[in-house]
Amino acid sequence: MAVLQVKNLTKKFGVFTAVDDVSFEMKEGEILGLLGPNGAGKTTTIQMLLGITTPTRGIINYFDKDFFKHSQYCLSRLNFTSAFNNLQGRTSIWENLIVFAHLYQVENCIPKIKKLITRFEMDDLVNKRYFDLSTGQKTRANFIKALINDPKIILMDEPTASLDPDIADKTLTFIEELRRERPITILYTSHNMSEVTRICDRVIFMDKGKVVAEDTPLGLTKRIQVAQLRLTFNDKKEIIVKYLRKEKLDYRFDGEHVVFITTEEKALPKIIFDLSKEGIWMTDIEVKKPTLEHVFLQIARGEKYVFE
Amino acid sequence: MSFYKLPEEKNMSLNRIKALLLHEMYITKHSFEVINDILFYPLFSVVVFGFMTLYLVGSTGKIIANEVLAGMIYWQVLNIAQYSVGVGCLWDVWSRNLTNMFISPINIKEYLFSFAISGTIKALIILILASTLSLYVFQFNIFSIGLFNTILIFINLVFFGFSFGVVMLGLIIRFGTKVAAFAWGFINIFQPFMAVIYPVSILPQPFRGIAYLFAPTYVFEAMRKNLNGQNAITEIVYALMLNIIFFFGATIFFRYMFAKSKESGAFARLEG
Repeated sequence: MAVLQVKNLTKKFGVFTAVDDVSFEMKEGEILGLLGPNGAGKTTTIQMLLGITTPTRGIINYFDKDFFKHSQYCLSRLNFTSAFNNLQGRTSIWENLIVFAHLYQVENCIPKIKKLITRFEMDDLVNKRYFDLSTGQKTRANFIKALINDPKIILMDEPTASLDPDIADKTLTFIEELRRERPITILYTSHNMSEVTRICDRVIFMDKGKVVAEDTPLGLTKRIQVAQLRLTFNDKKEIIVKYLRKEKLDYRFDGEHVVFITTEEKALPKIIFDLSKEGIWMTDIEVKKPTLEHVFLQIARGEKYVFE
Repeated sequence: MSFYKLPEEKNMSLNRIKALLLHEMYITKHSFEVINDILFYPLFSVVVFGFMTLYLVGSTGKIIANEVLAGMIYWQVLNIAQYSVGVGCLWDVWSRNLTNMFISPINIKEYLFSFAISGTIKALIILILASTLSLYVFQFNIFSIGLFNTILIFINLVFFGFSFGVVMLGLIIRFGTKVAAFAWGFINIFQPFMAVIYPVSILPQPFRGIAYLFAPTYVFEAMRKNLNGQNAITEIVYALMLNIIFFFGATIFFRYMFAKSKESGAFARLEG
């Protein structure tokens, strides 16, 4: 059974199509990254998946149930956290959590809230007003709220945006721990590609409202066949230039002793071997393989080569 | 007309209504400005009008003076009932918490019903405090018209205030915080037509037709009759009928605005 099934989801605002015929599925326990440049349609997709924006057409099914017809059933089994939404700022964390526990009809909610508070190391902060918390503390409070109903699926919209690297890392570690504990399904949007590579099983790239690529993070990076070679050499720059021109390679010098060569990954050993044969003394060799960030840039910019 | 009936609204959960009431109680507890809005400003208005009635007693007689003071007390009741609905939602818009509220399994009925309860409680608190103030400071007992008449007036005014608040809430949800001020002030535009502190007969002829479109006009007329020892059941029945019509109109309007807001993406953008 698919936890989430999206078919031909489309959202038009007048003549502008924000989300264009998007379809995908998520199975239990999967973490799916939803990526794309600004304006790609990710946020509108999430808003429709949460029921706060009405699709122009398309089907959203949670747990094989039509979201529109069974909204309460679905909403009671999902939750959401985002860097861009807060809890009620005027009330304390404890009061916020009590309210959400009742909204989700959580049975025996007090021990549960206490357990989550302890887990997120917020015991000393429960009586603080939400607005008085630091960004990292707010993120933790948002996570507690997102877990209060033991959701089967959580939608996370850039949960680590504006967090410092330490808190962001702790947040990701928490997601990894959560996943080890139970087969929770997570739809994750982020602009941080290393985060996505770290936690996502699969990635969907959106651009201009459409899904333009879908694969595992590794599968997507393998789609970029090129790699970048950074060579540091002692002298004989003119010989290197002559060789690179003869081989019609894409290159860029950085000063008199460093050259960047972008080419197919499988051609790199031959280049090193050839230059060595030409008597070039290489003091440092570095190979830069494509990452998810390069895939992102390639899709966002529509360029073949994405290395700087 | 798909907006008229949203799915899964057959059952209301007491737990979720309790959650919404707790939510409002916690906000009120932590917000001096809410306490100001629902207690100090209304009571301050009553005090000002109370002193004015003391002045009027000398020139117009006690009955008219009492009518003015009673009108002002009941106006606070109506005002607070409508204020509760619109402003109740705005606290969550300003905190960027409205999305969190609406992705929980609450439905519109529960959301509005909780506002109806909290508005009624606040209106009752205002009535009790203002009437106590009026009794001990201005020697006017608002309950002198009898408990039954008081209850009928109170119910009708709260009913109208709630429906009016639902219309304001619909406008806020559809058009965002740029119309947020409606939650406080829009009702005041209609106050002159509702004959709060003067009889409808004072109004110029063309305005009387407008005045009789509003249920509170009949309620305030009934209040004045009651204060003069007359029966006013006809006015109360008219008020109740208009209130029922307005209530259905308001809820349909709200549902339409809510559906349009979700369709246009405005609802998701409410939090900026």
